[in-house]
Amino acid sequence: MKSKNYSENIIKIFKKDGFVLSEPDVLLDSDYIIQRSGENFRKLMLTFEDDTGKSMCLRPDLTVASCIKYLKDNSKANSKIFYSGQAYRRSNNLKDKVVNDQLGIEILGSKNKSTDDLKVLKTIASSIEKIKIKNTSIKVSDVSLFQKLIESLTIPERWKMRLKRHFWRPQYFEDLLKRLETNSDVDPEAVELDKKRFTEMKNLDQSKEIASRKVSEILSRFDRKIKDPRSFAENKKIVKIIREFLKINCPINQLDKTLKSFVKKNKLSNSVFKDLSTIKNLSKINSKTIFSTNFGRDIEYYTGIVFEIYNSSKKEIARGGRYDGLLKSLGSKKNISAVGAAINLNNL
Amino acid sequence: MKNLITIGLPSKGRLKGESISFLEKNNLKPTSNGGERNYFAEIENLPNSKIIYLHAKEIIQRLGDGTIDVGISGLDLLQESSINLQKKIEIKKKLDFGVADVVVAIPNDWIDVQTVADLEEVSFDFRDKKNTRLRVATKYPNLTNNFLVSKGIIQYKLVPSLGATETYPFIGSSEIITDISSTGKTLKDNNLRVLKDGCILSSQACLLISKKKAATLRPFLNSLI
Repeated sequence: MKSKNYSENIIKIFKKDGFVLSEPDVLLDSDYIIQRSGENFRKLMLTFEDDTGKSMCLRPDLTVASCIKYLKDNSKANSKIFYSGQAYRRSNNLKDKVVNDQLGIEILGSKNKSTDDLKVLKTIASSIEKIKIKNTSIKVSDVSLFQKLIESLTIPERWKMRLKRHFWRPQYFEDLLKRLETNSDVDPEAVELDKKRFTEMKNLDQSKEIASRKVSEILSRFDRKIKDPRSFAENKKIVKIIREFLKINCPINQLDKTLKSFVKKNKLSNSVFKDLSTIKNLSKINSKTIFSTNFGRDIEYYTGIVFEIYNSSKKEIARGGRYDGLLKSLGSKKNISAVGAAINLNNL
Repeated sequence: MKNLITIGLPSKGRLKGESISFLEKNNLKPTSNGGERNYFAEIENLPNSKIIYLHAKEIIQRLGDGTIDVGISGLDLLQESSINLQKKIEIKKKLDFGVADVVVAIPNDWIDVQTVADLEEVSFDFRDKKNTRLRVATKYPNLTNNFLVSKGIIQYKLVPSLGATETYPFIGSSEIITDISSTGKTLKDNNLRVLKDGCILSSQACLLISKKKAATLRPFLNSLI
Protein backbone atom coordinates (compact mmCIF):
# COMPACT_ATOMS: atom_id res chain seq x y z
CA MET A 1 0.00 0.00 0.00
CA LYS A 2 1.07 3.51 -0.77
CA SER A 3 0.79 4.86 2.74
CA LYS A 4 2.70 1.91 4.19
CA ASN A 5 5.45 2.59 1.72
CA TYR A 6 5.45 6.22 2.75
CA SER A 7 5.72 5.46 6.42
CA GLU A 8 8.56 2.97 5.92
CA ASN A 9 10.56 5.56 4.05
CA ILE A 10 9.80 8.28 6.56
CA ILE A 11 10.84 6.05 9.47
CA LYS A 12 14.15 5.43 7.72
CA ILE A 13 14.87 9.14 7.85
CA PHE A 14 13.74 9.39 11.49
CA LYS A 15 16.15 6.61 12.43
CA LYS A 16 18.98 8.03 10.36
CA ASP A 17 18.58 11.33 12.20
CA GLY A 18 18.91 9.59 15.55
CA PHE A 19 15.30 9.21 16.65
CA VAL A 20 14.46 6.02 18.57
CA LEU A 21 11.11 4.21 18.45
CA SER A 22 8.81 4.81 21.39
CA GLU A 23 5.63 2.80 21.85
CA PRO A 24 3.29 4.69 24.13
CA ASP A 25 0.30 3.02 25.79
CA VAL A 26 -2.96 2.86 23.88
CA LEU A 27 -5.05 3.04 27.06
CA LEU A 28 -4.66 6.07 29.26
CA ASP A 29 -6.21 7.31 32.47
CA SER A 30 -8.90 9.80 31.38
CA ASP A 31 -8.52 11.96 34.46
CA TYR A 32 -4.92 12.51 33.57
CA ILE A 33 -5.87 13.93 30.19
CA ILE A 34 -8.84 15.91 31.52
CA GLN A 35 -6.65 17.42 34.21
CA ARG A 36 -4.53 18.88 31.47
CA SER A 37 -6.97 19.61 28.70
CA GLY A 38 -10.04 20.61 30.64
CA GLU A 39 -13.43 19.05 31.20
CA ASN A 40 -14.74 19.94 27.79
CA PHE A 41 -12.14 17.75 26.12
CA ARG A 42 -13.95 14.74 27.60
CA LYS A 43 -16.48 14.65 24.79
CA LEU A 44 -13.73 14.30 22.21
CA MET A 45 -12.21 11.27 23.92
CA LEU A 46 -13.23 7.65 23.55
CA THR A 47 -13.72 6.58 27.12
CA PHE A 48 -15.03 3.66 29.12
CA GLU A 49 -15.08 2.65 32.76
CA ASP A 50 -13.00 -0.25 33.94
CA ASP A 51 -14.18 -2.70 36.64
CA THR A 52 -13.07 -0.41 39.43
CA GLY A 53 -15.07 2.50 38.05
CA LYS A 54 -12.01 4.32 36.84
CA SER A 55 -12.44 6.14 33.55
CA MET A 56 -10.00 5.08 30.84
CA CYS A 57 -9.59 6.40 27.32
CA LEU A 58 -7.95 5.50 24.04
CA ARG A 59 -4.98 7.80 23.47
CA PRO A 60 -6.34 10.95 21.82
CA ASP A 61 -2.96 12.06 20.63
CA LEU A 62 0.47 10.50 20.31
CA THR A 63 2.44 13.51 21.52
CA VAL A 64 0.58 13.49 24.83
CA ALA A 65 0.80 9.67 25.03
CA SER A 66 4.56 9.79 24.36
CA CYS A 67 5.04 12.41 27.06
CA ILE A 68 3.11 10.28 29.54
CA LYS A 69 5.31 7.31 28.70
CA TYR A 70 8.42 9.42 29.03
CA LEU A 71 7.39 10.50 32.52
CA LYS A 72 6.31 7.00 33.53
CA ASP A 73 9.61 5.46 32.42
CA ASN A 74 11.45 8.24 34.17
CA SER A 75 13.58 8.30 31.03
CA LYS A 76 16.76 10.20 30.85
CA ALA A 77 18.32 8.58 27.86
CA ASN A 78 16.17 8.23 24.77
CA SER A 79 14.84 11.70 24.64
CA LYS A 80 14.85 11.80 20.87
CA ILE A 81 11.95 9.57 19.98
CA PHE A 82 9.68 8.74 17.09
CA TYR A 83 6.29 7.09 17.14
CA SER A 84 4.10 5.46 14.57
CA GLY A 85 0.59 4.49 15.49
CA GLN A 86 -3.05 5.38 15.79
CA ALA A 87 -4.69 8.11 17.80
CA TYR A 88 -8.37 8.06 18.62
CA ARG A 89 -10.47 11.13 18.88
CA ARG A 90 -14.05 12.13 18.29
CA SER A 91 -14.77 15.31 16.46
CA ASN A 92 -17.63 17.77 16.36
CA ASN A 93 -17.52 17.28 12.63
CA LEU A 94 -19.03 13.92 11.66
CA LYS A 95 -16.95 13.77 8.51
CA ASP A 96 -13.69 13.63 10.45
CA LYS A 97 -12.11 10.28 11.09
CA VAL A 98 -12.10 8.88 14.61
CA VAL A 99 -8.98 6.80 14.03
CA ASN A 100 -5.98 8.74 12.77
CA ASP A 101 -2.58 7.44 11.78
CA GLN A 102 0.14 9.51 13.33
CA LEU A 103 3.80 9.41 12.54
CA GLY A 104 6.03 11.84 14.32
CA ILE A 105 9.12 12.79 16.25
CA GLU A 106 9.72 14.49 19.57
CA ILE A 107 12.76 15.79 21.37
CA LEU A 108 11.82 15.53 25.03
CA GLY A 109 14.09 17.33 27.45
CA SER A 110 15.31 19.62 24.71
CA LYS A 111 18.33 21.54 25.95
CA ASN A 112 19.18 23.80 23.08
CA LYS A 113 16.13 25.57 21.73
CA SER A 114 17.18 26.81 18.36
CA THR A 115 19.27 23.74 17.46
CA ASP A 116 16.47 21.36 18.38
CA ASP A 117 13.73 23.40 16.71
CA LEU A 118 15.75 23.36 13.54
CA LYS A 119 16.58 19.67 13.91
CA VAL A 120 12.91 18.70 14.12
CA LEU A 121 11.96 20.80 11.17
CA LYS A 122 14.90 19.52 9.13
CA THR A 123 14.08 15.89 9.82
CA ILE A 124 10.45 16.43 8.87
CA ALA A 125 11.44 18.32 5.73
CA SER A 126 13.85 15.61 4.62
CA SER A 127 11.26 12.88 5.26
CA ILE A 128 8.89 14.71 2.99
CA GLU A 129 11.61 15.06 0.40
CA LYS A 130 12.38 11.36 0.72
CA ILE A 131 8.87 10.39 -0.30
CA LYS A 132 9.21 12.73 -3.25
CA ILE A 133 6.65 15.34 -2.40
CA LYS A 134 7.65 18.51 -4.15
CA ASN A 135 6.70 22.18 -4.13
CA THR A 136 5.95 22.27 -0.45
CA SER A 137 5.46 25.49 1.45
CA ILE A 138 5.77 26.24 5.17
CA LYS A 139 3.87 28.48 7.50
CA VAL A 140 5.44 29.38 10.85
CA SER A 141 4.77 31.42 13.90
CA ASP A 142 6.22 31.84 17.34
CA VAL A 143 3.52 32.06 19.98
CA SER A 144 5.99 33.42 22.53
CA LEU A 145 6.08 36.67 20.55
CA PHE A 146 2.46 37.29 21.48
CA GLN A 147 3.26 36.71 25.15
CA LYS A 148 6.15 39.16 24.88
CA LEU A 149 3.98 41.77 23.22
CA ILE A 150 1.34 41.53 25.96
CA GLU A 151 3.98 41.77 28.67
CA SER A 152 5.26 44.98 27.15
CA LEU A 153 1.88 46.74 27.10
CA THR A 154 0.71 49.02 29.89
CA ILE A 155 -2.55 47.37 30.87
CA PRO A 156 -3.82 46.03 34.21
CA GLU A 157 -2.24 42.77 35.26
CA ARG A 158 -5.48 40.79 35.13
CA TRP A 159 -5.98 41.80 31.53
CA LYS A 160 -2.51 40.57 30.65
CA MET A 161 -3.25 37.22 32.26
CA ARG A 162 -6.58 36.91 30.50
CA LEU A 163 -5.29 37.74 27.07
CA LYS A 164 -2.44 35.27 27.46
CA ARG A 165 -4.67 32.53 28.77
CA HIS A 166 -7.19 32.84 25.99
CA PHE A 167 -4.91 33.34 23.02
CA TRP A 168 -5.87 29.72 22.20
CA ARG A 169 -9.55 30.36 21.84
CA PRO A 170 -9.76 32.89 19.02
CA GLN A 171 -13.50 33.36 19.33
CA TYR A 172 -13.46 34.03 23.06
CA PHE A 173 -10.31 36.09 22.58
CA GLU A 174 -12.25 38.36 20.25
CA ASP A 175 -14.91 38.78 22.98
CA LEU A 176 -12.14 39.76 25.37
CA LEU A 177 -10.79 42.37 22.98
CA LYS A 178 -14.25 43.86 22.63
CA ARG A 179 -14.59 44.02 26.40
CA LEU A 180 -11.20 45.61 26.72
CA GLU A 181 -12.06 48.09 23.99
CA THR A 182 -15.26 49.20 25.71
CA ASN A 183 -13.85 49.04 29.22
CA SER A 184 -16.73 46.90 30.40
CA ASP A 185 -15.24 44.86 33.14
CA VAL A 186 -15.62 45.27 36.88
CA ASP A 187 -18.94 46.52 38.14
CA PRO A 188 -18.17 49.45 40.50
CA GLU A 189 -21.50 49.09 42.27
CA ALA A 190 -20.88 45.50 43.27
CA VAL A 191 -17.45 46.39 44.56
CA GLU A 192 -18.89 49.10 46.80
CA LEU A 193 -21.51 46.76 48.14
CA ASP A 194 -19.03 44.23 49.30
CA LYS A 195 -16.66 46.61 51.02
CA LYS A 196 -18.83 46.19 54.09
CA ARG A 197 -18.50 42.44 54.07
CA PHE A 198 -14.77 42.91 53.38
CA THR A 199 -14.36 44.71 56.72
CA GLU A 200 -16.32 42.03 58.53
CA MET A 201 -14.34 39.26 56.98
CA LYS A 202 -11.08 40.87 58.06
CA ASN A 203 -12.01 39.90 61.62
CA LEU A 204 -12.51 36.24 60.78
CA ASP A 205 -9.87 33.57 61.21
CA GLN A 206 -7.86 34.21 58.05
CA SER A 207 -6.97 30.57 57.55
CA LYS A 208 -10.61 29.49 57.61
CA GLU A 209 -11.64 28.00 54.29
CA ILE A 210 -14.80 28.85 52.42
CA ALA A 211 -15.33 26.29 49.68
CA SER A 212 -11.61 25.47 49.43
CA ARG A 213 -10.48 29.10 49.46
CA LYS A 214 -8.90 30.69 52.52
CA VAL A 215 -10.47 33.91 53.83
CA SER A 216 -7.07 35.56 53.38
CA GLU A 217 -6.99 34.50 49.74
CA ILE A 218 -10.46 35.89 49.04
CA LEU A 219 -9.68 39.18 50.77
CA SER A 220 -6.36 39.62 49.06
CA ARG A 221 -7.87 39.04 45.64
CA PHE A 222 -10.70 41.44 46.47
CA ASP A 223 -8.19 44.02 47.55
CA ARG A 224 -6.10 43.54 44.44
CA LYS A 225 -9.18 43.81 42.30
CA ILE A 226 -10.37 47.13 43.70
CA LYS A 227 -6.89 48.56 43.42
CA ASP A 228 -6.30 47.37 39.91
CA PRO A 229 -7.30 50.23 37.62
CA ARG A 230 -10.84 49.70 36.48
CA SER A 231 -10.70 51.82 33.43
CA PHE A 232 -7.73 53.18 31.66
CA ALA A 233 -7.57 55.68 28.88
CA GLU A 234 -5.48 53.80 26.40
CA ASN A 235 -7.64 50.70 26.09
CA LYS A 236 -8.69 51.44 22.51
CA LYS A 237 -5.14 52.02 21.46
CA ILE A 238 -4.01 48.79 23.11
CA VAL A 239 -6.67 46.76 21.35
CA LYS A 240 -5.60 48.30 18.06
CA ILE A 241 -2.00 47.26 18.67
CA ILE A 242 -3.03 43.69 19.48
CA ARG A 243 -5.22 43.46 16.41
CA GLU A 244 -2.50 44.86 14.22
CA PHE A 245 0.02 42.41 15.65
CA LEU A 246 -2.26 39.49 14.86
CA LYS A 247 -2.45 40.62 11.25
CA ILE A 248 1.29 40.29 10.65
CA ASN A 249 1.75 37.92 7.75
CA CYS A 250 4.92 38.10 5.69
CA PRO A 251 7.62 36.05 3.99
CA ILE A 252 10.14 34.91 6.59
CA ASN A 253 12.98 36.94 5.13
CA GLN A 254 10.99 40.10 5.74
CA LEU A 255 10.09 39.26 9.32
CA ASP A 256 12.80 41.41 10.88
CA LYS A 257 11.84 44.44 8.88
CA THR A 258 8.11 43.92 9.47
CA LEU A 259 8.44 43.54 13.22
CA LYS A 260 10.75 46.55 13.44
CA SER A 261 8.31 48.78 11.66
CA PHE A 262 5.45 47.43 13.82
CA VAL A 263 7.46 48.27 16.95
CA LYS A 264 8.37 51.70 15.69
CA LYS A 265 4.88 52.60 14.54
CA ASN A 266 3.35 51.63 17.88
CA LYS A 267 6.14 53.17 19.95
CA LEU A 268 6.97 49.90 21.70
CA SER A 269 10.27 49.11 23.32
CA ASN A 270 12.93 48.03 20.85
CA SER A 271 13.72 44.95 22.86
CA VAL A 272 10.19 43.45 22.74
CA PHE A 273 10.99 40.89 20.09
CA LYS A 274 14.67 40.51 20.54
CA ASP A 275 15.35 36.81 20.09
CA LEU A 276 14.33 35.86 16.58
CA SER A 277 17.30 33.68 15.69
CA THR A 278 15.34 30.40 15.78
CA ILE A 279 12.68 31.58 13.42
CA LYS A 280 15.10 33.19 11.05
CA ASN A 281 16.96 29.89 10.89
CA LEU A 282 13.89 28.36 9.33
CA SER A 283 14.36 30.26 6.12
CA LYS A 284 17.33 27.97 5.48
CA ILE A 285 14.95 25.05 5.07
CA ASN A 286 12.46 26.47 2.68
CA SER A 287 12.63 29.89 1.12
CA LYS A 288 8.88 29.92 0.61
CA THR A 289 8.23 30.07 4.34
CA ILE A 290 5.53 32.46 5.45
CA PHE A 291 5.42 33.92 8.93
CA SER A 292 2.00 34.61 10.44
CA THR A 293 1.28 35.76 14.01
CA ASN A 294 -2.30 34.57 13.90
CA PHE A 295 -1.24 31.03 13.13
CA GLY A 296 -0.90 28.13 15.59
CA ARG A 297 -3.67 29.24 17.87
CA ASP A 298 -5.54 25.97 17.95
CA ILE A 299 -3.31 23.84 20.16
CA GLU A 300 -2.88 25.20 23.63
CA TYR A 301 0.31 23.42 24.54
CA TYR A 302 2.58 25.26 22.12
CA THR A 303 4.90 27.78 23.73
CA GLY A 304 7.37 28.73 21.00
CA ILE A 305 7.64 28.07 17.31
CA VAL A 306 4.78 26.40 15.49
CA PHE A 307 4.79 25.31 11.89
CA GLU A 308 2.78 23.55 9.24
CA ILE A 309 3.99 22.18 5.93
CA TYR A 310 1.69 22.05 2.93
CA ASN A 311 1.86 20.19 -0.36
CA SER A 312 1.38 21.85 -3.73
CA SER A 313 -2.41 21.71 -3.37
CA LYS A 314 -2.17 23.51 0.01
CA LYS A 315 -3.14 20.48 2.07
CA GLU A 316 -1.45 20.21 5.44
CA ILE A 317 1.01 17.32 5.41
CA ALA A 318 2.94 17.98 8.62
CA ARG A 319 2.76 20.13 11.69
CA GLY A 320 4.63 20.67 14.90
CA GLY A 321 6.13 23.06 17.37
CA ARG A 322 7.71 23.68 20.72
CA TYR A 323 5.81 22.83 23.87
CA ASP A 324 7.85 23.62 26.95
CA GLY A 325 4.98 23.43 29.43
CA LEU A 326 3.27 20.17 28.47
CA LEU A 327 5.36 17.73 30.51
CA LYS A 328 4.98 19.83 33.63
CA SER A 329 1.23 20.00 33.16
CA LEU A 330 1.24 16.21 32.86
CA GLY A 331 2.78 15.94 36.31
CA SER A 332 6.52 16.40 35.90
CA LYS A 333 8.02 18.14 38.93
CA LYS A 334 10.55 20.10 36.93
CA ASN A 335 10.23 21.96 33.66
CA ILE A 336 11.05 19.74 30.72
CA SER A 337 11.32 21.50 27.40
CA ALA A 338 10.21 19.69 24.30
CA VAL A 339 9.70 20.12 20.60
CA GLY A 340 8.14 17.80 18.06
CA ALA A 341 6.23 17.33 14.85
CA ALA A 342 4.01 14.81 13.13
CA ILE A 343 3.31 13.88 9.54
CA ASN A 344 -0.29 13.65 8.44
CA LEU A 345 -0.36 10.39 6.47
CA ASN A 346 -3.99 10.86 5.49
CA ASN A 347 -3.16 13.87 3.35
CA LEU A 348 -0.17 12.36 1.57
CA MET B 1 -55.80 1.59 18.86
CA LYS B 2 -55.34 3.79 15.83
CA ASN B 3 -54.82 7.53 16.43
CA LEU B 4 -54.43 7.05 20.15
CA ILE B 5 -52.82 10.12 21.70
CA THR B 6 -50.55 9.41 24.64
CA ILE B 7 -49.82 12.37 26.86
CA GLY B 8 -47.00 12.45 29.39
CA LEU B 9 -47.44 14.69 32.43
CA PRO B 10 -45.06 15.35 35.33
CA SER B 11 -45.87 12.91 38.12
CA LYS B 12 -45.34 15.16 41.10
CA GLY B 13 -45.00 18.60 42.58
CA ARG B 14 -46.10 21.97 41.38
CA LEU B 15 -45.38 21.07 37.78
CA LYS B 16 -47.97 18.26 37.99
CA GLY B 17 -50.66 20.56 39.38
CA GLU B 18 -50.02 23.31 36.86
CA SER B 19 -49.95 20.85 33.97
CA ILE B 20 -53.35 19.48 34.97
CA SER B 21 -54.70 23.04 35.27
CA PHE B 22 -53.40 23.76 31.79
CA LEU B 23 -55.38 20.81 30.41
CA GLU B 24 -58.44 21.81 32.39
CA LYS B 25 -58.27 25.34 31.02
CA ASN B 26 -58.48 23.67 27.63
CA ASN B 27 -61.55 21.80 28.70
CA LEU B 28 -59.73 18.51 29.00
CA LYS B 29 -60.49 16.78 32.28
CA PRO B 30 -58.08 14.03 33.39
CA THR B 31 -59.80 11.26 35.32
CA SER B 32 -57.90 9.60 38.10
CA ASN B 33 -59.28 6.09 38.07
CA GLY B 34 -57.57 4.43 40.97
CA GLY B 35 -56.62 7.40 43.08
CA GLU B 36 -53.55 9.46 43.82
CA ARG B 37 -50.96 6.77 43.24
CA ASN B 38 -52.15 5.59 39.89
CA TYR B 39 -49.80 6.64 37.13
CA PHE B 40 -52.42 6.28 34.39
CA ALA B 41 -55.41 8.44 33.60
CA GLU B 42 -57.78 9.21 30.79
CA ILE B 43 -59.34 12.35 29.52
CA GLU B 44 -63.11 12.25 29.90
CA ASN B 45 -64.03 14.30 26.91
CA LEU B 46 -61.23 13.14 24.61
CA PRO B 47 -61.65 9.55 23.55
CA ASN B 48 -58.61 7.83 22.07
CA SER B 49 -56.32 9.45 24.57
CA LYS B 50 -54.46 8.43 27.68
CA ILE B 51 -52.30 10.15 30.22
CA ILE B 52 -49.15 8.71 31.76
CA TYR B 53 -47.60 10.41 34.77
CA LEU B 54 -43.82 10.34 34.53
CA HIS B 55 -40.75 11.99 35.98
CA ALA B 56 -40.30 15.29 34.14
CA LYS B 57 -36.91 14.16 32.84
CA GLU B 58 -38.36 10.95 31.55
CA ILE B 59 -41.03 12.79 29.59
CA ILE B 60 -38.21 13.99 27.33
CA GLN B 61 -36.82 10.45 26.98
CA ARG B 62 -40.21 8.93 26.19
CA LEU B 63 -41.03 11.61 23.61
CA GLY B 64 -37.76 10.64 21.99
CA ASP B 65 -38.49 6.93 21.83
CA GLY B 66 -42.12 7.40 20.84
CA THR B 67 -43.77 5.98 23.99
CA ILE B 68 -45.63 9.24 24.35
CA ASP B 69 -46.73 11.72 21.68
CA VAL B 70 -47.26 14.86 23.70
CA GLY B 71 -45.73 15.93 26.97
CA ILE B 72 -45.23 18.77 29.37
CA SER B 73 -41.76 19.26 30.79
CA GLY B 74 -39.17 21.93 31.48
CA LEU B 75 -37.10 23.68 28.82
CA ASP B 76 -34.06 23.08 31.06
CA LEU B 77 -34.51 19.32 30.85
CA LEU B 78 -35.02 19.42 27.11
CA GLN B 79 -31.89 21.48 26.49
CA GLU B 80 -29.86 19.34 28.85
CA SER B 81 -30.73 16.19 26.93
CA SER B 82 -28.58 14.82 24.13
CA ILE B 83 -28.63 16.46 20.71
CA ASN B 84 -30.10 13.35 19.10
CA LEU B 85 -32.99 13.40 21.49
CA GLN B 86 -33.60 17.11 21.02
CA LYS B 87 -33.80 16.62 17.27
CA LYS B 88 -36.80 14.35 17.72
CA ILE B 89 -38.76 16.78 19.85
CA GLU B 90 -40.52 19.98 18.94
CA ILE B 91 -41.48 22.77 21.31
CA LYS B 92 -45.11 23.45 20.48
CA LYS B 93 -45.77 26.11 23.05
CA LYS B 94 -44.01 27.78 25.95
CA LEU B 95 -46.31 27.69 28.97
CA ASP B 96 -46.62 30.35 31.63
CA PHE B 97 -45.57 28.23 34.57
CA GLY B 98 -42.50 26.43 35.85
CA VAL B 99 -40.54 29.61 35.30
CA ALA B 100 -36.99 29.30 36.67
CA ASP B 101 -33.38 29.99 35.72
CA VAL B 102 -30.46 27.62 35.53
CA VAL B 103 -27.71 29.64 37.20
CA VAL B 104 -24.11 29.56 38.37
CA ALA B 105 -24.00 30.08 42.14
CA ILE B 106 -21.00 30.61 44.36
CA PRO B 107 -20.49 30.90 48.14
CA ASN B 108 -21.73 34.27 49.34
CA ASP B 109 -18.43 35.02 51.02
CA TRP B 110 -16.41 34.81 47.85
CA ILE B 111 -16.76 38.58 47.77
CA ASP B 112 -14.04 38.96 45.17
CA VAL B 113 -16.14 37.02 42.66
CA GLN B 114 -19.03 38.92 41.08
CA THR B 115 -18.93 37.96 37.44
CA VAL B 116 -18.10 35.00 35.26
CA ALA B 117 -14.85 36.79 34.37
CA ASP B 118 -13.87 36.69 38.05
CA LEU B 119 -14.72 33.03 38.21
CA GLU B 120 -12.54 32.40 35.20
CA GLU B 121 -9.58 33.94 37.05
CA VAL B 122 -10.28 31.96 40.18
CA SER B 123 -10.53 28.75 38.18
CA PHE B 124 -7.02 29.32 36.81
CA ASP B 125 -5.80 30.05 40.36
CA PHE B 126 -7.09 26.66 41.40
CA ARG B 127 -5.05 25.01 38.71
CA ASP B 128 -1.92 27.14 38.94
CA LYS B 129 -1.64 27.62 42.70
CA LYS B 130 -3.40 24.64 44.20
CA ASN B 131 -2.85 22.20 41.37
CA THR B 132 -6.46 21.09 41.53
CA ARG B 133 -9.47 22.08 39.52
CA LEU B 134 -12.46 24.09 40.52
CA ARG B 135 -15.26 21.61 41.13
CA VAL B 136 -18.74 22.41 39.88
CA ALA B 137 -21.60 20.35 41.28
CA THR B 138 -24.58 20.11 38.97
CA LYS B 139 -27.61 18.25 37.74
CA TYR B 140 -26.99 19.87 34.35
CA PRO B 141 -23.62 18.67 33.02
CA ASN B 142 -24.28 19.53 29.37
CA LEU B 143 -25.70 23.01 29.89
CA THR B 144 -22.95 23.74 32.39
CA ASN B 145 -20.13 22.59 30.11
CA ASN B 146 -21.40 24.62 27.19
CA PHE B 147 -21.89 27.74 29.27
CA LEU B 148 -18.59 27.64 31.12
CA VAL B 149 -16.55 26.91 28.03
CA SER B 150 -18.26 29.70 26.08
CA LYS B 151 -17.18 32.07 28.86
CA GLY B 152 -13.56 31.00 28.78
CA ILE B 153 -13.74 28.80 31.88
CA ILE B 154 -12.05 25.57 30.95
CA GLN B 155 -10.27 24.61 34.13
CA TYR B 156 -12.93 22.88 36.17
CA LYS B 157 -14.29 19.49 37.00
CA LEU B 158 -17.93 18.52 37.06
CA VAL B 159 -19.33 16.73 40.08
CA PRO B 160 -22.63 15.08 39.18
CA SER B 161 -25.32 15.71 41.76
CA LEU B 162 -28.81 14.27 42.13
CA GLY B 163 -30.19 16.75 44.63
CA ALA B 164 -29.50 19.13 47.49
CA THR B 165 -26.73 20.51 45.29
CA GLU B 166 -26.74 23.69 47.41
CA THR B 167 -24.95 21.87 50.21
CA TYR B 168 -21.98 20.75 48.12
CA PRO B 169 -19.72 23.80 48.56
CA PHE B 170 -20.08 23.57 52.33
CA ILE B 171 -19.51 19.88 52.80
CA GLY B 172 -16.37 19.82 50.69
CA SER B 173 -17.85 18.08 47.67
CA SER B 174 -17.47 21.02 45.27
CA GLU B 175 -16.60 24.70 45.32
CA ILE B 176 -19.44 26.10 43.27
CA ILE B 177 -22.69 24.82 41.78
CA THR B 178 -25.05 25.31 38.91
CA ASP B 179 -28.70 24.69 39.64
CA ILE B 180 -32.24 25.65 38.80
CA SER B 181 -33.68 28.48 40.84
CA SER B 182 -37.06 30.16 40.64
CA THR B 183 -37.04 32.67 43.48
CA GLY B 184 -33.45 32.33 44.62
CA LYS B 185 -34.59 31.60 48.15
CA THR B 186 -33.04 28.15 48.46
CA LEU B 187 -29.71 29.49 47.24
CA LYS B 188 -29.86 32.40 49.64
CA ASP B 189 -30.82 30.22 52.58
CA ASN B 190 -27.79 28.12 51.84
CA ASN B 191 -25.34 31.03 51.68
CA LEU B 192 -25.01 30.98 47.94
CA ARG B 193 -25.18 33.85 45.50
CA VAL B 194 -25.83 33.93 41.74
CA LEU B 195 -23.12 35.53 39.60
CA LYS B 196 -24.21 38.79 37.98
CA ASP B 197 -23.92 37.32 34.52
CA GLY B 198 -24.39 33.75 35.65
CA CYS B 199 -27.72 32.90 34.04
CA ILE B 200 -27.20 29.81 31.91
CA LEU B 201 -30.79 29.43 30.75
CA SER B 202 -34.18 30.98 31.41
CA SER B 203 -36.44 28.01 31.63
CA GLN B 204 -40.17 27.40 31.76
CA ALA B 205 -42.62 24.57 31.23
CA CYS B 206 -43.19 23.69 27.58
CA LEU B 207 -45.72 21.73 25.63
CA LEU B 208 -43.60 19.29 23.68
CA ILE B 209 -44.45 16.87 20.91
CA SER B 210 -42.74 14.04 19.16
CA LYS B 211 -41.82 15.35 15.69
CA LYS B 212 -42.77 12.04 14.09
CA LYS B 213 -46.35 12.45 15.26
CA ALA B 214 -46.68 16.10 14.31
CA ALA B 215 -49.10 15.47 11.45
CA THR B 216 -51.50 13.15 13.30
CA LEU B 217 -51.45 15.43 16.33
CA ARG B 218 -52.40 18.54 14.42
CA PRO B 219 -56.18 18.44 15.05
CA PHE B 220 -55.61 17.86 18.77
CA LEU B 221 -52.99 20.60 19.05
CA ASN B 222 -55.13 23.06 17.15
CA SER B 223 -57.81 22.63 19.77
CA LEU B 224 -55.48 23.84 22.51
CA ILE B 225 -55.08 27.46 23.52
